[in-house]
Amino acid sequence: MEFEQIIGLEVHCELKTNSKMFSSAPVTFGKEPNSMMNEIDMGMLGTMPVLNKRSVELAIRVCHALHMDIDEVLCFDRKNYYYADLPKGFQITQYRRPLGKNGYLDIEVDHVTTRIQIERLHLEEDTAKQIHYNDYSLIDYNRAGIPLIEIVTCPDIRNAKQAAAYLEKLRQIFLYTDVSDAKMEEGSMRCDVNISLRPFGCDSYGTRTEIKNVNSISYVQKAIEFEAKRHEELLRCGKSVLQETRRFDETINETITMRTKSDAIDYRYYPEVNILPIHIDHQWVLDIKKQLPLMAEDREKIYIEKHGLSKREAHFIVSSKEISDFYEETIQFCQDFQKIYHWLSGEVQSYLNNHHCTIYQTKLKPIYLSQLIQYIKEDVISSQQSKQVFDCVMKEGKAPEVIIQELDLRQILDSDVIEEIVNHVLDVNASSIQDYIQGKKKVIGFLMGQIMKESKGQVNPKMANQILIQSLQKRTQ
Amino acid sequence: MIQYSIEELQKLFQSSSFDKENYYKEVFKEAQYQQERLNAFVTITKNEAYETLRYTDFDLALGGIPYVLKDNYHTKGIKTTASSRMLEDYIPTYNAHIVDLLNRQGACLIGKASMDELAMGGTNTTALTGPVSNPWDSSRIAGGSSGGSAALVASGVVPFALGSDTGDSIRKPAGFCGVVGFKPTWGRISRYGLIPYASSLDTVGAFTRNVRDMAIVIEALSGRDDKDMTSSMSRVPHYLDNLDKNIQGMKIAVIQSINDEITNPLIKTNFEKVIQTFQNLGAIVSEETIPLKLMKALHPIYTIIANCEATSHLACLDGIKFGYRASGRTIEEIITRSRTQGLGTSVKHRLILGHLALATENQEKMFRKAQKVRRLIVEELNRIYKDYDIILMPNSNTIAPMLSEVTEYSLNEEKDILENHLCLANFAGTPSLSLPTGFVDHMPIAVNIMGRLFEEQTVFNCAYALEAALHFKNQYSREG
Repeated sequence: MEFEQIIGLEVHCELKTNSKMFSSAPVTFGKEPNSMMNEIDMGMLGTMPVLNKRSVELAIRVCHALHMDIDEVLCFDRKNYYYADLPKGFQITQYRRPLGKNGYLDIEVDHVTTRIQIERLHLEEDTAKQIHYNDYSLIDYNRAGIPLIEIVTCPDIRNAKQAAAYLEKLRQIFLYTDVSDAKMEEGSMRCDVNISLRPFGCDSYGTRTEIKNVNSISYVQKAIEFEAKRHEELLRCGKSVLQETRRFDETINETITMRTKSDAIDYRYYPEVNILPIHIDHQWVLDIKKQLPLMAEDREKIYIEKHGLSKREAHFIVSSKEISDFYEETIQFCQDFQKIYHWLSGEVQSYLNNHHCTIYQTKLKPIYLSQLIQYIKEDVISSQQSKQVFDCVMKEGKAPEVIIQELDLRQILDSDVIEEIVNHVLDVNASSIQDYIQGKKKVIGFLMGQIMKESKGQVNPKMANQILIQSLQKRTQ
Repeated sequence: MIQYSIEELQKLFQSSSFDKENYYKEVFKEAQYQQERLNAFVTITKNEAYETLRYTDFDLALGGIPYVLKDNYHTKGIKTTASSRMLEDYIPTYNAHIVDLLNRQGACLIGKASMDELAMGGTNTTALTGPVSNPWDSSRIAGGSSGGSAALVASGVVPFALGSDTGDSIRKPAGFCGVVGFKPTWGRISRYGLIPYASSLDTVGAFTRNVRDMAIVIEALSGRDDKDMTSSMSRVPHYLDNLDKNIQGMKIAVIQSINDEITNPLIKTNFEKVIQTFQNLGAIVSEETIPLKLMKALHPIYTIIANCEATSHLACLDGIKFGYRASGRTIEEIITRSRTQGLGTSVKHRLILGHLALATENQEKMFRKAQKVRRLIVEELNRIYKDYDIILMPNSNTIAPMLSEVTEYSLNEEKDILENHLCLANFAGTPSLSLPTGFVDHMPIAVNIMGRLFEEQTVFNCAYALEAALHFKNQYSREG
């Protein structure tokens, strides 16, 4: 008997608003513990939530990108449980009426496209962070109250690879909608996995387990692989899977029991009293949609169909929103799509790799890149020289034109000037002319080298070559 | 003699012959004296008050007017206990919005008043500092949960005090102590910084010894606060300037199913006299009814809704981040022990009930059903408000009970309708004022005047007219 994996994912993503979801404290990462919070984040008695409109706007962006139905009323609920990192003793979330419903995301694995249905997207607040030591624990409230969205798929995912593809794609959407930096390693994107197995052809579900808080895409993949294998082994020897919550231990690549179903918490959800239901203005929702940038897959399609890039090339560009944005800005100035791609995937990418930065953190500007490409095309500089100019741009942030001037790199295109240099070189190297007469064609290379040296590499090589041959012929006639 | 009203004090403070220093000396002397008699304070903030007075601008609206806060309002740097062991040593880091407002208008806080623990109760016998006595007879209760505030206004220590009202926690002690008690419309005054009992019912309100002073206090506290999303944007009228004794043609409903419950003949007579007085003043008083079934549901519905909400509001009191901490080996053990030891019996009863009513397997038949019945009750009131400006009710069927008569809180007990009818105004969020109307067995009794949403002015005018006609105001009792 073969088993089919049934997987659903719950993804939490921190929204990069300026202030927290219900308080005016700033949203930050990595700041000194308990320096970025106020009495509301601490859940002090008597404090009350004030909704950050921006968090709703960012959540609506993601709803649009996931093709969701957006509720016209915004309602919040209280999720009640006791935990050291939960300041108020309840979390404000959306239970009855999630902001978004019925969306989907298409993923591609091994050239097969699969549509993953998304059940819901809702807003909630993050908890504080516990830091455990040997015999004590500390609580950092900086994270408490940061807005989160939670996105829950239908059980449509069938294997670890699809799960990884879904997460990659979702992460890309967070980046393209500019709602989060979506860094799993920093916890701004987190994933819970629900998994069960059933024999192929069976249409009911097996008992599922939940793996909480897996913090990288590759761990999600490993956790699923481990858990599927564990389920299968249990089922094969006639045992049943226990419904439970587990965690993934990345040091041993295994999942471990956290709590079983009998310890399940009753969250006693009920409506949040201090935020009355809010009508969401339809026009506002439409305006947010209008202002959304194109998503990666739409851009990829344009790059292939309209710009004539290959799938691989287009894919490279959209794999980073910043590179893609930079590309789009550059094509405003220069339509040489292929050349732009070459620069971005070549010199630029290797610079970013070496300097561990993103393109917008460098001194390169789209107009500089377009000018560089233009100068090569117009033979103002050679492609050899262009590398030198590029290095200077990255270092000094000056326009290529300025650098070319400063370094005196402009190619010599005046044939009279070139002829003068050629003649000078020939005068000094009279013996070379003799070699030429004797048919030693190699001498051309030597002479070209001398010409380049004499002109500090500035003569246009093509022109110089032509003029050299003409001059040689003239002198040997 | 320090028992001045706000308006009297405003005039006195303007006169150069008035000795403010001596006045405050007398105030604190009286506070001490009444504290020994009534046990109404949790904290007397004498040092802070004198510090404040050094900078007080007596030309401000409430410049120099002494007042008392119920001990569930957050006061930065001043202990805020809500009369609970859990918060015995809690010193807040921020001020409630209304405290900032009163500071800005120059009012001078002289103390924090006792209350039923965490505002849960109607007797003020569950406070950590012990029961509060009634100024008119110290063997009787002041009522609760804002009993300390009521007693301190009724004994003349301060001209006004703030209370909070979730079911009747201002209006019931006001009636028992013979002072004016008022809860405005839900949303009229910011609740930011009030330790909540049940947010959908909680209302900031006050005690004074006459209606004019109440208009002054409520006007000072009302208005939008951006820290409380439920606070109303609507303009705050000039309640004092607009006070009008002419209530000719005002339509007043009395509720037959409530009046029928009055068993004390003296209270009945007094209530009938009040109706007669209103008619003499030109108001149109007619009888309406609310189905008895709904009236009987008030107490169970209130118990469920208030205590369900309370479970989350008070969940932060876990000994980890907050409050009294018991020792334990695990977090669960610390939380369990801290709550077991830090919270009183009545509070625990209510929280357990709230937990049960919210549990997934009970929620539909308890919490959700209670919400539905609440809606029916509100619809019933709205039906009456279509034809009437005011609903008039007796405040209670009894005078303040003897301290010795107060029994342990019991959930099973069937309650008198007339012990719980005032929560109608909390369910509907409407303004409701209790006005003393006479004495029965030497103890004050009162009526309750309830108006439409945001029609505080109508309620004030109605009470103002009645107060004038009854010649019954500025009562206080220093002895007894």
